[in-house]
Amino acid sequence: MAMTLLNAPAAGRDLVFDDEFLRKLEQLELLARKIFRGLLRGDHTTSRRGRGLEFSDFRHYRPGDDFRHIDWNIYSRLDQLFLKLHASEDDVTLHLILDTSASMRFGDPSKFDHARRLAAALAYIALHNLDRVGVSAFSEGLGAALPPIKTRHHMARLLTFLGELPCAGVTRFDSALGAFAMRTRNPGLVILISDLLGAGEIQHGIDALCYGGHDVVVIQLLAESEIDPALDGALRMVDAETGDEVDATVDEELRSLYQRSLQRHLQEMESFCRRRSVEYLRASTAIAFEDVLLKYLRQGVHLR
Amino acid sequence: MIEFAYPLALLSLLAVPILIALHLLRPRRRRIVLSTTTLWQAALKEREPKLGLRSMLRNLSLLLLLASAAALGVALAGPHWLTRTSEDADTVLVLDVSASMKTRSGIGKTRFDLALAEAFDIVDGLPREGRMLVMTSGRKAVLRTGFEADRDALRRALRELRTGDEAGRPREALALALSLLRGRNQGRIYFVTDGAFDRDVDPGSPQVAFRVVGEPARNVAITRFDFRQELASEERYQVLMTVRNYTDAPLVVPASVSLDDRVLFRRPLTLAAHAEQTVVLPFTGRARGQAIARIDVDDDLAADNQAYAAVYTDDTLRVLLLTRGNFYLESVLEALPNLVLVKRDGSPAEDIARLALDYDVVVLDGIEAPRLPAGNFLLVNTVAPGLPFSDSGRLVRPGPLVRGQSALMRDADLTAVRVDQARRIVIDKPAAGLQRLFWSRESDLALALLDADVKLVYLGFDLARSNFPLQAAFPLFFSRSLEWLRPRGDGFVSTHVEAGSTQTIVLPAGETRVTLRMPSGKSESLESEGGSALFDATADAGIYQYTVGEITRYFAVSLTDARESDVNNRWAPGEPRKEAQPAGKGVQALVPLWPPLLLLALLLLALEWCVWTGSRNRA
Repeated sequence: MAMTLLNAPAAGRDLVFDDEFLRKLEQLELLARKIFRGLLRGDHTTSRRGRGLEFSDFRHYRPGDDFRHIDWNIYSRLDQLFLKLHASEDDVTLHLILDTSASMRFGDPSKFDHARRLAAALAYIALHNLDRVGVSAFSEGLGAALPPIKTRHHMARLLTFLGELPCAGVTRFDSALGAFAMRTRNPGLVILISDLLGAGEIQHGIDALCYGGHDVVVIQLLAESEIDPALDGALRMVDAETGDEVDATVDEELRSLYQRSLQRHLQEMESFCRRRSVEYLRASTAIAFEDVLLKYLRQGVHLR
Repeated sequence: MIEFAYPLALLSLLAVPILIALHLLRPRRRRIVLSTTTLWQAALKEREPKLGLRSMLRNLSLLLLLASAAALGVALAGPHWLTRTSEDADTVLVLDVSASMKTRSGIGKTRFDLALAEAFDIVDGLPREGRMLVMTSGRKAVLRTGFEADRDALRRALRELRTGDEAGRPREALALALSLLRGRNQGRIYFVTDGAFDRDVDPGSPQVAFRVVGEPARNVAITRFDFRQELASEERYQVLMTVRNYTDAPLVVPASVSLDDRVLFRRPLTLAAHAEQTVVLPFTGRARGQAIARIDVDDDLAADNQAYAAVYTDDTLRVLLLTRGNFYLESVLEALPNLVLVKRDGSPAEDIARLALDYDVVVLDGIEAPRLPAGNFLLVNTVAPGLPFSDSGRLVRPGPLVRGQSALMRDADLTAVRVDQARRIVIDKPAAGLQRLFWSRESDLALALLDADVKLVYLGFDLARSNFPLQAAFPLFFSRSLEWLRPRGDGFVSTHVEAGSTQTIVLPAGETRVTLRMPSGKSESLESEGGSALFDATADAGIYQYTVGEITRYFAVSLTDARESDVNNRWAPGEPRKEAQPAGKGVQALVPLWPPLLLLALLLLALEWCVWTGSRNRA
């Protein structure tokens, strides 16, 4: 292990990442290595044409093109000038976007803690893959951001950043994600970790990321109390983000209607992501984050 | 539109908020913070269509209790629904309450009892939405209800009716009833009567239906009774009594007259069938007290077997002054002794005949005088039409006044009297009773007239435009004029009025209240209006006593009406008339709502009990 996570700065470690987590992360490194063996070259071919070694295509020579890329063998055979194109070999920037709105406080463990641990793990794997990793937080708007880091030496900094993130405010997906898309110059892989509960058009926010040229992955975290609420009787429900109050007498019928409403919401999100070619993953806080991660790593297409 | 008979009963609706408050005391909602309420709101929205019914069913018991309490509260307030009913179907029930309705008819019953039963039958037979007005026909026609759809109200009004000793005037009652139904061609008038009136009472309208009750009856009646003072002597009096036999057989009827406890006269009168006998009985002595005439006969109508008269001495001269204001005239009249002066403004045209009866002298000063009825009048600066003299213009500063030889002007010195302006009088036709009191060269200025009905003194100038009030002749002229107009003698008065008529009681100056005691023993207080009080509750015959200040007086009320005492049916209906059917446009009527509301409250309570029992069993 190039870095001892247990030696990470106290702030992040104490607040969020306890020793057990850090140990799990170190084990995850080994696990990740096993899964991505042979792929960890530190480079990713992209769809952009560039100066990489891997052949991509031919095209006719146009005045001004670099003579060095002319394929002279073809010229000798066909007496025509063709340029030999190669795929660009850029390192990928992983943008982790964390929902830090008040609704993320719910769950046991909380969705927020779960999201931070998931982010830390993904960042660790990405850094191990020689990719850049940046972290941004959002709620009502775009919040604190950690500029992309390249090496695993900066992992402790990332953990500290995650550990110090607040969890409050109202979620505004459209404005927050739109601001992120506007601010980020280098498109990359965006992993949005959120409960996708809140005001504002979620679809608009994800669209903004797609239009910004990012490959987007959405991980929706839900608390078990949201998936199967154990509520009953006459209640005054208060929205943690907006403070809105709703009086309801919860019975079996209403719980059933809630489940139906939740399923409808989840299906809408899933089908939307599918239409946008956005990878969508749903997880509960009741499932250990490493299990989520492994499932993601096995099924996912973005980290090969 | 709903009206309430007892609006205070609506206070019982306060029970409704109390019930609601008790309901609200149930446990409060538990407060819980969630990550989002959006999904719950969506679920609630989905359940919303079912929510109303579900919530209602959950609170059904409370809702039923509330509805029951509200229905009971509103029922207690006695609501009436103002609905529309057929105006043309309106009915007027005229009930005869004249004295003849007291005639016996069967055992223990009178014609009035039969008439009431008939009236109740008519009320019961009203169309469902029909309205009825109840009125009585006595000496006056009196409306006892408005047009009323409430059968109970009509029955209550009927139960309160009673008959008096009045002589009936059914023609006036039917005319009033017809006027009430004017323009309602299908309206009906039921006249429940004994038919003891002349044939010409029937107005011949197809709207009038006569319901005649009673059987032929035997009656003997006192039809006249009066006291009078003989002119020759102040101590000699005459009693006049007329008794009529309405039966088909001759009768001998014991008759008597008493004054207080003293029997003045007692003897049998022999009466032929359908004949009358008048007796005039002279007597000497003091004629003061309550006089009662009686006949001792067992006939079917007892009300006319006695008659009353109040006999007393009254030196007071009751003078009514109609003026727009005359300081001199008022001063001199107020200064005269034993004179009760009542002053009024305005024209007396409408009720001059009644005023002339109520007052000993009516003084008209400077106002337009109507044609004078029978009575005593003093005209000052005004001329009434129909007199033997008339006004022919103005006279400025008439010449020296010349006094005539009339006793009214004896010792009156007019030499210093100056008149600025006077009326020029022309005597249209010489009259035997016309005396010239004083005059100038140009015209008569004062006259006295005595004819069959009218007795008057005329003064033809405005007192304010002469120095006459400053002369010694002035009070002398008015004192003698009033004395002449109503010679007082020893003030003997015999009063008796017809039952049901209005009695005017003149109050002395400064008195505003009169207390009356009726033959039944009941007392009533009246406030004076313009110096007199009108009393019209004289339906019962007998002696009425009234007290003004410390003075007590009497007046007597009797039937003494020969036509009313003729109690047999003198009327026969003509051709049967087609009865009108109710139809046409609507008018408003009151329909009581409390019975259905009470029933509703009870039903709701029963339903609530069922719901409560059911829920307890399920629990």
